Parts: sequence; C-alpha cells; structure tokens
Amino acid sequence: MKKALLALAVLSLAGIAQAETATYAIDPTHTFVTFEAKHFNTSTLRGRFDKKEGTVAFDRAAKVGKAEITLDTSSISTGVPALDTHLKGKDFFDAAQAPSVKFVSDKFNFEGDKVSGVAGQLTMLGKTVPVTLKATNFNCYNNPLLKREVCGGDFETTIARTQWGMDYGLQYGLPDNIRLLIQVEAVKQ
Amino acid sequence: MNVLRSVLFAASCMPAFSANAEPVTYTIDASHTKVYWETRHFGTSTHRGRFDTVEGSIVLDRDKANGEVSVSIATGSVSSGVPALDNVLRGGRFLSTDAYPTAYFIAKQLHFDGDHLNSLRGEFTLRGVSKPLSLNASNFACRVDAMRNREVCGGDFEADILRSDYGSTFGLPFVGDKVRLLISIEGVRQ
Repeated sequence: MKKALLALAVLSLAGIAQAETATYAIDPTHTFVTFEAKHFNTSTLRGRFDKKEGTVAFDRAAKVGKAEITLDTSSISTGVPALDTHLKGKDFFDAAQAPSVKFVSDKFNFEGDKVSGVAGQLTMLGKTVPVTLKATNFNCYNNPLLKREVCGGDFETTIARTQWGMDYGLQYGLPDNIRLLIQVEAVKQ
Repeated sequence: MNVLRSVLFAASCMPAFSANAEPVTYTIDASHTKVYWETRHFGTSTHRGRFDTVEGSIVLDRDKANGEVSVSIATGSVSSGVPALDNVLRGGRFLSTDAYPTAYFIAKQLHFDGDHLNSLRGEFTLRGVSKPLSLNASNFACRVDAMRNREVCGGDFEADILRSDYGSTFGLPFVGDKVRLLISIEGVRQ
C-alpha cells in the first residue's frame, strides 16, 4: 500500500514538471491562520480563524502565481470563550463591522521551482497594507485520499497591528507585533 | 507533589534556612494556559491544534533554584478547528480519550541560569505510557497582575515527542510521528 502511494506520488511529481498555470482550491481542513501574541512578556497566546476560503493559481515554469484567502473574523478561536468575545468586539477585530480579513497576492517569489515568498495586500478593519509572507516547507504531493495533487506549506510574517488601527491595550503592555503562522494546503482543480 | 512540597516546606522551616523564603505555589490560570501541538501533514504543511482544558500548578523555590511544574491535560478537550478531525483524534487511533482521559506532564527538576528558567526535566504520560521528557523554557518571568493585584509567573515551554513512543502509529508516515508540544503557562500566586 505504502509503495503504491509513493509510486503515485513520484508519478505526480513527474507530471508537475510540465508547465501550465494550475488552479487550486484551499482545503479548509488543512488551511489555518494562527496568530501569536506575547501576553505581558510572559506566555504566548495563540488563536486561529476556523472559517476561511480561498484559491491559489500558479505556474512553476513561468514562476508566477496569485492567491486570495478570506478569513471570517467571527470564527476566531483561542480556546477561551470570553477572550474570543473580546477579540470579536470593537477593541480588536470588530466582526460586526468588519466580518472578514482578506489577503490578496499577485506576486509569488520562487527559489528553483519552490515558492519562497508571497507578497500581497492584507485588508483588515477596512485598511489595506502590503504584507510579504515567507514560505517554508513548500511542497506538492499526490493526496491518496483525494486522488488529487495538493500543494501547500507553511508561511509566516510578523505584522504591527497598529498599521490597521488596532491599538487596544498598547498602554497596558499588550504587544503591537503579532506573528502570523499560516498553514496552507490547496487541492488542484 | 504534596510530598515534595512538604519536604521543601520542612526545609524552609529549619533554623538554618529561617531567613529564606519558602517555596511559593502558583495555581495555573486556565485562561492563559494552553497546550498546543504541531505536526507535519504529508511532509508539507504544519498542522496545529490545542488542548483547551489544562490544570496544574507551579511551585518555585527561588533560594534553592528549584521547584515543580505539574500539568494535567484533558485529552477530550482537543481542538483542531475541524470538528470531524477532533472526533478522529479522540478515537483509539490517536488519543484514546475514553481509556485515557488525562495526559500529564510532571517536572521535578527545574534548571535555572541565574534567575532565568532554562529547562524542566520530568515525565510525560500520554495514552497511559510514561516517558522522561525535557522541556525548553523561554520567556519565563513573573509580574504583578494589575487586575488581580497578585503575582503571576509564566512563560513558554517546548518539547518534541514521537507519538509512536506513546503507542499512536496510525497514519504514519503521512501524518508526522514527531509532534511538537508548545505549552503556554501562567500561574497565579496562592
């Protein structure tokens, strides 16, 4: 079984070498944006957005790509319900007025045939600011369950939330800099 | 833990140590304590999840540069953001939460560099299997919490385990064997 899967994977990798722009749909079960914030310089608080959607299109030979991902701000999840309520409120994401966060990229950087970075625009709280994500672990594989090619990896960046006007708690010592850890897997259409 | 605490307490009451502070116990603040996990999916992306229900305590004996950290994790509180996956994770292929509702990390050796907590050595119990485990500590610090007017100590602890060491082999190698545990912890002085 494993040999058969590996053989499939090798075959699909051979197929990827052919140049064409392929479109991929985000797999929401393997795509998450996780944020990290230091809590008064002691522990690190993490949260994620559970509802999201998006598409990716790229051409390895031409070394171009574009991506779009939308996060539902009401789906924020930290594991602490009272904190989730605060984060969805006006002090932070203001989910009632700003129901989504959107990242749009039309510039993929490549090292060889692997994506090494993605530059784009992050819109949050009605403001749009350029952001570049660094890619690690970029890879494509043939998923034996989906019987499709899946491409993805890990992306990360650190943003200053005040650039989007989110400044709650700075005076109490809550950090401006927030690290974003982004898991993406997208299924070839 | 009670044994260690009473031993430390007894030591602190001895005349030779009478000038010294006794060990201080901090009860874990559940709203700022989480156990997060990370593993690789098909050698590609990093899949993350957490355990939402974590209890425990931190005991610091500053004079002896030692202490104890104990954490119990309700395995059924696993949360990946995908309810169907959470059900699979609770089942026998992964956490076996019916048979093993609790995982534990208990460290009785804390290593300090000056005032800085560097690492903890202890034992991790998952699926009823106990193995020695060392956690690296970063950011460990104490502060006075303005809202509670109490001292709060905490930081981040990190270690890698192999889930196969604890009897979970389903999905290898496509779902990673190596699982990184990231523990965010804060305790409130009692």
